[in-house]
Formats: sequence, structure tokens, C-alpha cells
Amino acid sequence: MARYVFRRTIQALPIFFGISVIVFMVIHLAPGSPVDRFRVPRVSPAQIQRLIELYGLDKPILQQYVSWVTTFVQVWRPEAWGYSFLDGQPVLEKVVTRAPATLRLMGTALAVTVLLAIPVGVLAAVKQYSWTDKIITTFATVGYAIPSFLLGIYILFFGGVVLPQWTGGRFGFPLFGMESFGKQGDVLDLAWHLVLPVTSLAIQQISGWARFMRSSMLEVLHQDYVRTAKAKGLPRGRVLGKHALRNALIPVVTLLGLSIPGLLGGAAITETIFSYPGLGSMFVESVGSRDYPVVLALTMLGGFTVVFGNLLADILYGVVDPRIKY
Amino acid sequence: MTAGAGTRRGRAGVRTARGVPPASGDGANLLELRGLRTHFFTRDGTVKAVDGVTFEIGNGETIGVVGESGCGKSITAMSIMRLIERPGQIVAGNVVMHGRDLLKLSDEQMRDVRGNQISMIFQEPMTSLNPVYTCGDQIAEAVQLHEGVSRRQAWSRAVEMLQQVGIPDAKRRAGEFPHQMSGGMRQRVMIAMALSTNPELLIADEPTTALDVTIQAQILELMKALRERNKMAIMLITHDLGVVAEMADQVVVMYAGKVVERSDVTTVFERPHHPYTEGLLRSIPRLGERRARLEVIRGVVPNPLNLPTGCLFKRRCPYRMPICDTAPPFQEVRPGQYSRCWLTPEHEPPTVGLSPAPEVAEEEAERLTVAPR
Repeated sequence: MARYVFRRTIQALPIFFGISVIVFMVIHLAPGSPVDRFRVPRVSPAQIQRLIELYGLDKPILQQYVSWVTTFVQVWRPEAWGYSFLDGQPVLEKVVTRAPATLRLMGTALAVTVLLAIPVGVLAAVKQYSWTDKIITTFATVGYAIPSFLLGIYILFFGGVVLPQWTGGRFGFPLFGMESFGKQGDVLDLAWHLVLPVTSLAIQQISGWARFMRSSMLEVLHQDYVRTAKAKGLPRGRVLGKHALRNALIPVVTLLGLSIPGLLGGAAITETIFSYPGLGSMFVESVGSRDYPVVLALTMLGGFTVVFGNLLADILYGVVDPRIKY
Repeated sequence: MTAGAGTRRGRAGVRTARGVPPASGDGANLLELRGLRTHFFTRDGTVKAVDGVTFEIGNGETIGVVGESGCGKSITAMSIMRLIERPGQIVAGNVVMHGRDLLKLSDEQMRDVRGNQISMIFQEPMTSLNPVYTCGDQIAEAVQLHEGVSRRQAWSRAVEMLQQVGIPDAKRRAGEFPHQMSGGMRQRVMIAMALSTNPELLIADEPTTALDVTIQAQILELMKALRERNKMAIMLITHDLGVVAEMADQVVVMYAGKVVERSDVTTVFERPHHPYTEGLLRSIPRLGERRARLEVIRGVVPNPLNLPTGCLFKRRCPYRMPICDTAPPFQEVRPGQYSRCWLTPEHEPPTVGLSPAPEVAEEEAERLTVAPR
């Protein structure tokens, strides 16, 4: 197992190299430049030129890449990921400060997803073609199809505007942020702020997971070993819960690893809508202002979650399926 | 109801073919199927997969159920176990065991019968075991469920069963997963699981079809040995007449959801009555016989959604007569041998003539029809 993980990690290195090249080139090829926001009458062209030289943007792109990538890998140094063009803070420090908020959001959304989607998907499969199944499938399809920015705005509008209106201001969810002023560190307050963004993020995930769980369970229910379990005289609960579910969960485990990057991507949109101070909203801001060091750092992180999400899925496969050995 | 009309041939205690007889308590029979009908209600129409099947399995007797794919033999077995799922439904009949109609038991009572009094093994040993649990686990599960013993006891019983079915190094093998075993081994595990609770009846649904010939022989030998030891009855479903000759005491031949011939194994092989049974026997290639081509039964099994009227086999039958448009009688052609055919016991055209009026034919069929025993 350790050897397998080691081998996969080594194999990931060229992937990271490829990601870094593509990401670096794409962001530099994109129109606009970090100094654009200074192109106002108060700033002289000479000052802008000085900024360009300061950021090293006048150098050949290959040289820029090499100097970026060689410092980027030295993660033990606080300045390794460079300084934000926006506020001059070390990027690594900014990422570390903001990461807990995003991890909290993603973690909660993932937990809610797993806890709801698996039973819902199983229920739909067991009661295939019933009204329960039709309702679940319809909601899952709608939830899957609706764009996340639209869903987020609806949820924000309903939870933060409509609900307080209906209840005469007594009940409603916060419109933005991750904590109330003066209540920093209050767990309940943090959770209260999480409700709407988590709902928004989880609905899409649940839709995908529930559909997947349903089809996986349906496939298993037609397997011969389920018939064997019934023929043994096992009660329905044991047949479904022990013999069918355990097998149906095997492919779902892959989804666990693969959904992490998806959650991160979803977080970018959700955090922006809910003005939630995490990595996602930071990413959207940095792209908007062409804050190259931040964009590069977060995109590399995104690539990292994809590669290691895959590895995690493969490792979990070996854990849950006795037929797979590494 | 047509019962009561006319005289009936046969022994005392004869039951009407279509009427539902009372459950007998004579103790000679372990399981009695009476007019079992299992239909599948599909979008395209009703498939009468099992349509009025009546036979019995004696204590400790091995009965071979033979027929082509789709003749309803597996569905009969699944109906006995009450494992029919939508769109299938058991619409009529009785399955009587120890004076109880299994079809009238509550789900909970039925679960206690399954895997305990009646066990089942399936055609596909490769897929019939759950890949994520060890073989020992899967056997112990059945033992624990039905015998109410501890996990540890159930496990040692599982190991013991694996030894009984001839798996070497059973202690270690019990901890292995199905994928670590060959097809023959897995079928042994299935047999061990089925027999771990000492069932009175083992339903074996084509247990050797998926195995290669040498393994087939081993599994049949094993089943024979265990049959003697456990004094259990076996309902052996197969399309392989060789397996029937090897194993069975009684034979039931099914065609398109109906029993077309029933008798003891020697009679079936020596003096088959129904043309379908004859065809089945003729299609076995024999060693040393030189033939240009293998004998086959011409034609195909009728579309279950569009069955012919009268005899279901008439389109493929070499003896076809006009009277075959009327459903043939299920007659006792010799003591203990029953056949669903218009031919007389001497294989001659029926005494009412080749093409009597339909009403006359129906009355004659009614007169000749006898329920087995």
C-alpha cells in the first residue's frame, strides 16, 4: 500500500509540471494585466512602467515561469508563493488564513451530501418507479441542471430576504459573511452563517450523488448474490443494508475522491454569492484583478485536489473492495 | 369449475385437475404443488410463465425438472421460495409443505422456511456469492440466522460444512473471498451454505450448467453423497437429461409453463409418451452413432405472449392432428406415467377420432384427465 501511494505520488509529479505550465501560460495569455487597475489619470505612465518592472512582467515569459516555479516549490519558505499584487501580503499566508473557512464550508457540504444522498438514492432504487422514486429523480435532475450561481442567488434571496419578511424580521439567515461582528469565534454564529452557502453547495452535490447512488443500487439489486441472500431467508433489511448496500457503495467511494475538486470549484461561486471569506471568493477576486501570484497558487491547489482526490478514491477502493489489492 | 362431471380414471383419492384439493396429511409427500400459476404482467401483455403446475416431491426423493430455457422451470422454483418479483406474481395455486400452504404464510414465517427448510443453489456460482464478504461469513450468516447460535459456533459450523463439501484446508478457505476460488469451489461453497441448516428440500437450479464437465461430475457426486447423508429431497432443475439420468428418481418435463410429462426416471428414458419428451431424448447425441446431423426438435418455443390454442407443442409436433387445437388431456398413460397429449397410451390417435367437434373433444379431454396420485 505504502509503495503504491509512493508510486502514485511520483507519477503525479509530471502531471503537476504540466498543470503549472498550462496554468502559467493561460493566465499570461489572457487579456488584461495586473497593472491595468492603475491606469487612471492620477498614475503616470512612468510609474506604471516601474510597476511592470517591479513585478517582473517585462521579462521573457519563459524566464518568468522558471523564476515562479522554482520559488513556488519551496513551500517551507513563507514567501514561496510570492506576494499578492493587491495588498502585498505573502500568498501562502493569505491561503493559510482563508483555508479553514473553505474547508469548513466544503466539509459540512460534503457531510450533508453523504448523509442525505445515500439514503435518498437507496430509497429511490428500492422503490423504483414508485411516486417516491419519481419525486426524488425529478428533484435530483432539476437540482443537477440548475446553474449554481442561479441556485445560490435564489437561496440567498429566499433565506435572507423573503424569510425575514414573512416572519416579520424574527427569523432569517445572514446575507453575507461567515461571522457576525462582535461574535468572532462563536460556533453557533459560524454555523448560522454556514446554513445558506452549505445548502446551495450541497443541493447540487446531493443531486449528483443521489442519482449515482440510485443507479448503483439498482444495478446491485439485480445481482445474483442479492437473490442468494434472499433465498437464505434473510430479512429484507439485512438483504438491502448488508448485502446490497455494501456493494452499491463501492463505486460511490470513487465519487468521494472525485467530488472534492468539484466542491472546491462550487465553493468559488458559492462563496462569492454569499460574500463568504474563503479561498473561493479570494480566487474570483484575484482573477478579476489579474493578481497572478494568487491565481497561480489557487489553481495549483485546485490541480492538487484533483490529483489527490483521485488517489484517495483509488486507495478507498482497495479498502472497501476485497477484490482490489495494491 | 368443471370438477365432478363424468367419471375419472385413477386410484382412490384422485383430485380434480383444475380444482384445488385439500392439503393432504399422509406424510408421504414433502412438498405438493397444486395448480401453481405465476404470471408476469408486462407492458406487452401477460406472460404465463407457470400455468397450472401440479406435482409433488416425496420425502427424500430427487425430482428432475426438465425443459428448454424459458419453459418455466426456474420460475416454478422461485415461486416455491416465494422470490418472485414484480412484474411477476403468483396468481393461483398451493405449495403445501407439512400441511401448510407456503403461499399463505406471512413474510416472516416464509423467511424461516427459506434457507432453513428449503434451500436453494443457483446456476451461476461465479456471481451467486457476495464478493465483499468471505465465504465463511456467508455460510455462518445462514447458520446464525436459523439456528440462533453464536457467531463463533456458526463460524465453526461453516468450516465444518466446507470440509463436508470437500474443500481442502477449510479453516483457511473459510476466511477467503469468493474471487479467490474457482467456479467449482464456489459451487461447493454454495452447496455448503445451502446445506448448513439441514434443509428437507434442496432446490438446485441448473447447479452444474456453468461448470466444465469434470467439475460437473464432481458436484453431482457430492450432491448424491450429501443427499444420502442428510436424507433430503432434491428438486433438480436442468436441461441436461444426462444429469437427470444420473440423479433423479422422478422426472417432470415442462413445456411453455405446463407439465407435459411426469413419471419415474426409467420410464421416461425407456418409454417416453409425450412427443416433446421423445424429441428431447432423440436430441441427445450418442457415442458410436454416425449421423449426418444432430436430431433437433424443429421450430422454436412459442412466444409466451402469443401461445397457440389447444396443445402448446402442436406447431413442432411430428404427430400433429386436427384435434390438437383442443387442449389435450393430462392422462395417466401407464401406472405412474402421466402425459399431456391426445395420443393414446399405445401412441395411437385418440378414440374420439382425429377431428371431432370441439365440444366433443373437450368432453373427452375432461374424461381422460387425471391428476397425478
